[in-house]
Amino acid sequence: MTLYQMFEWLEATSLGVLVRESAWGFPILVAFHLMGIMLSVGTLVWFDLRLLGVSMTGVRASLMYRRLMPWMFTGFAIMFISGFMLLAGFATNAYGNVYFRIKIIAMVLAAVNAFLYHRFTERRIVQWDDAPGPPTAARMAGLVSISVWMTVILAGRMMSYTMF
Amino acid sequence: MAALFVWLEGTRLAITVRDSLTLTGALSAVHLVGFTLTTGGALVANLNLLGVLFPGRPPIEVTRPASRGIALGLTISALTGLLLFAPRATVASVNGIFQTKMLLLVAAVLFHTVVHQRVARVATSSSMRRGTAAVGLLLWTSLALAGCAYILLE
Repeated sequence: MTLYQMFEWLEATSLGVLVRESAWGFPILVAFHLMGIMLSVGTLVWFDLRLLGVSMTGVRASLMYRRLMPWMFTGFAIMFISGFMLLAGFATNAYGNVYFRIKIIAMVLAAVNAFLYHRFTERRIVQWDDAPGPPTAARMAGLVSISVWMTVILAGRMMSYTMF
Repeated sequence: MAALFVWLEGTRLAITVRDSLTLTGALSAVHLVGFTLTTGGALVANLNLLGVLFPGRPPIEVTRPASRGIALGLTISALTGLLLFAPRATVASVNGIFQTKMLLLVAAVLFHTVVHQRVARVATSSSMRRGTAAVGLLLWTSLALAGCAYILLE
């Protein structure tokens, strides 16, 4: 089964049909998706700025992550669930859309960046947790995170103007 | 005011935006980036004032940088928002959801500037801080919902 066939199958599921054909399904899902983005990326940016050493440098990086994490992850859960449901409704349209592809690539890069940060950079956090200026690896993780999530938002919004 | 909106719609800038779907999309995308920065800053500032983020620290240590983030986000949103408003000024200005969004924006910004920042700066009771944070969260969340509604129901 090719990826396009998978998208066709997804679009034909009862979930896909429901999203596409119900009068309120689409706008409600988009509203949840946007609120999820604001909650997740809106809070994640502050942790990224701490990693960059440009904001709230008096707060330990580990404490900041711990306190912001529940809000970020709640937002990400809302964003991913509503995003998957929206994709189900318009999967074949999304397949050929260049901004959808940019968005997916940016999300993969965000995941790789988060994995590398937690796997390597965060392991040595005791050495720089209190430091106003974190090491280069942490700064890079913050910079990449902000860049790719802004790309996700920009590409996602452009999808609305180029898919339908 | 109506004459001003008619004039605005006829400007070269408004026509350029109206004639280009890509430009409208790009402006809308940057508008959302700005609004994400704004709501993120507002959320962090108000959650902290509520006492759930960094309760041991003076609230102003979080409110001050968060307010800079809100200001940056609002600047981006306002500039792109004006460009998006220009081609549809006469229709948008009488739209109930748009009017609600603008009223909530003014209320949220005024409340943050006049009340939140003052409460975060001076030593006040925890009930005062929590009450201020609750009103702030309500205003910014309502603004975000009104923004979503305007995008979808316009």
